[in-house]
Amino acid sequence: MTHEEVLNIVRGIFRDVFDDDDLIVEDSTNSSDIEDWDSLEHIALVVSMEKEFDLKFDLKEVNKLENVGQMVDLIISKLA
Amino acid sequence: MNDLSYEEIEVGHKESFTVTVTEEMMDKFLAITGDVNPLHNDEDYARSEGHPGRVVYGMLSASLLSTLAGVYLPGKRSLIHEVKIKFAKPVYIGDTLTVEGTVEEKHDVYSLLMLKATIRNQSGDKVCRAKMQVGVS
Repeated sequence: MTHEEVLNIVRGIFRDVFDDDDLIVEDSTNSSDIEDWDSLEHIALVVSMEKEFDLKFDLKEVNKLENVGQMVDLIISKLA
Repeated sequence: MNDLSYEEIEVGHKESFTVTVTEEMMDKFLAITGDVNPLHNDEDYARSEGHPGRVVYGMLSASLLSTLAGVYLPGKRSLIHEVKIKFAKPVYIGDTLTVEGTVEEKHDVYSLLMLKATIRNQSGDKVCRAKMQVGVS
């Protein structure tokens, strides 16, 4: 899948988790851009992505991520 | 109290316990919450609403899910993240409730358990259905 294709799926997950269909999500988006993006919702995001893409993250990988773009890259690397 | 580690627990793991709801429990819940709604506190009002007696607070029944996670599954290492609950049938004083939790999913990255929980009365009717997300420290 292309970066854009994965990003679109990730956008959908963000909109579900935060229950906001108008949520703007770009590669540069990070937790300071979304008010409700706290540790609990971060867990919900990671678990939803594991389910959606049928893959498993480990804590070190996830803790290094700084924005959505890096999350997309990590997903692509795991799908490869 | 159980002290189950994340590794010890497997999908399908089940725990349950039983509690009989008493007037004293209702009084204590009222004292804590200040919920003076007559459905829970006024016998005549509850009967006028078609109930056989005072209706037990739904959140009193729901509070037993705290015990389910914190004492039984996983027990001591429990950290409740989220609870989604449905109140399917009314509960009445004197009802004997059986609370049961089953591990539906495990998520290793955050040592998470997804529990399905049910609360049944003495007739076996489901009075509450819940999904819980519980971390294991």
